Amino acid sequence: MVKRRNEHGDEYYDNYNVPADKASTVLEALLYIKENIDQTLSFRYSCRMEICGSCGMEINGRPRMACSTQLASLHSDIIKISPLPHYNVIKDLVVDFDPFFDKYKKVKPYIIRDDDGNYSAEIPQTPEQFNEFKGYAQCIKCGLCMAACPVVGTDENYLGPAPLTALFRYNIDNRDQGIMYRIDIANSDDGTSRCHFAGECTEACPKDVRPSFAIQKLRVQGLKYELKNIMGGKK
Amino acid sequence: MNKTGIAGWFNIKDKGTGYFAFAFQRFSGLVIVIYLYMHLIFLSSLLDGRTTYNSLVQNITYGPFDIFIVMDMLLALVIFYHGANGIRLALNEFGIGLKHHKLFFYAYESISMVLLVLFLYYAYLFLGGH
Amino acid sequence: MNNKNSNGLKGLGPLGWLLQVITGVFLIFFLGIHLYLANIDFGHPIRFFTAVLENLHNGYWLAFYIVFTYIVLYHGLNGVRGILYDRFDSQKSRALIKYSLSVLYVVTAIYGTLLALAVSRIAIP
Repeated sequence: MVKRRNEHGDEYYDNYNVPADKASTVLEALLYIKENIDQTLSFRYSCRMEICGSCGMEINGRPRMACSTQLASLHSDIIKISPLPHYNVIKDLVVDFDPFFDKYKKVKPYIIRDDDGNYSAEIPQTPEQFNEFKGYAQCIKCGLCMAACPVVGTDENYLGPAPLTALFRYNIDNRDQGIMYRIDIANSDDGTSRCHFAGECTEACPKDVRPSFAIQKLRVQGLKYELKNIMGGKK
Repeated sequence: MNKTGIAGWFNIKDKGTGYFAFAFQRFSGLVIVIYLYMHLIFLSSLLDGRTTYNSLVQNITYGPFDIFIVMDMLLALVIFYHGANGIRLALNEFGIGLKHHKLFFYAYESISMVLLVLFLYYAYLFLGGH
Repeated sequence: MNNKNSNGLKGLGPLGWLLQVITGVFLIFFLGIHLYLANIDFGHPIRFFTAVLENLHNGYWLAFYIVFTYIVLYHGLNGVRGILYDRFDSQKSRALIKYSLSVLYVVTAIYGTLLALAVSRIAIP
């Protein structure tokens, strides 16, 4: 069953019968439909190997990557595919990622330096320093975590799991000096205080980034920063 | 945005342990706040004197409205649940035991439910065993 | 994205969360004692009128219950604020939620205090 949405905004389900072997993925099934049954079906994909983050969709009630979800793993002959929730649908399974990327930009996900990048020597980074943020840097911006988060589903201004994880990832990068530009964003009403650790983002993440863990650590970092300010520390 | 709305908070189907904990923490918290105000209204009847207050307590404890005892037991359940999950959440949110958050949840809730049974047993006993 | 968003608006942020945790920890203690006293107390639960009055005639218990009221109210209403913020995301609605709940807190806290004081002054029959 695939949820469809036409140019008039009408939504309905179409049923397709697809042959499958034990290694077939949901993306292969969708491509089979597109090539053999219904050319009007729209969905987004590119790399087919869980790198590009394009083919996120809701499969049997959970946000998953179509390319890395094997049909056999769903243990059902009937598979229900819908567009990712919490996004506006453009057509069929294609959703609008602009609001997600806008939030991502808001957290300043890049190295900020006092020297404005005009450094003369290399900035060293030990393997330990690298390992601190390595896991969080695996994010492929597939947006599954935003679809899984119950608060993103009611508060469209909440920055959400992936952007807050990116914010934390740069805050703990030893080359970065921009924490003071990001921490107020994290501490705002649309930041970490909207997270209640339902943990569904971590469940949904295909790259094991564990955004819910990053947000709790960011919350403590934000608290320390706030307390330091109150005690008279400098920003 | 294609919002799922408040109903989405409580849609625990196909979700993980953390989601159930989140949804029920929210629900139990609201139940407790509503009870808090009902409790305050009830306690206000103390100002009406001994006869009124005692007959109210008598009615809801020994009948004809002893159905309230069942409500009290359910209330105790949500309070014990909320407290145990609250401690777990506070620790996790401070970064303690993040990787074992599910284990923490089950461990704290198990301890809490044992305490709940003990509490209900003693409360029942000293109610007169009715 | 909603152009009336509250991004950048500084709320209580992590301090609100810290207070929620601290009051929560206190509640385990306060509520534990309260539930024990009101329902068990090994044979003498504080249930009926005279027992309640005797309890509140003790200054320490009176203070205990008043502080308990302030803490449980903060924890409860701040929790409600969090839930409402999750649903209403505009700056305007959040300001309305914050002020309404603050007023509710003050009114309930005053009412609770006055009630406890009034009950503590009723003569024990």
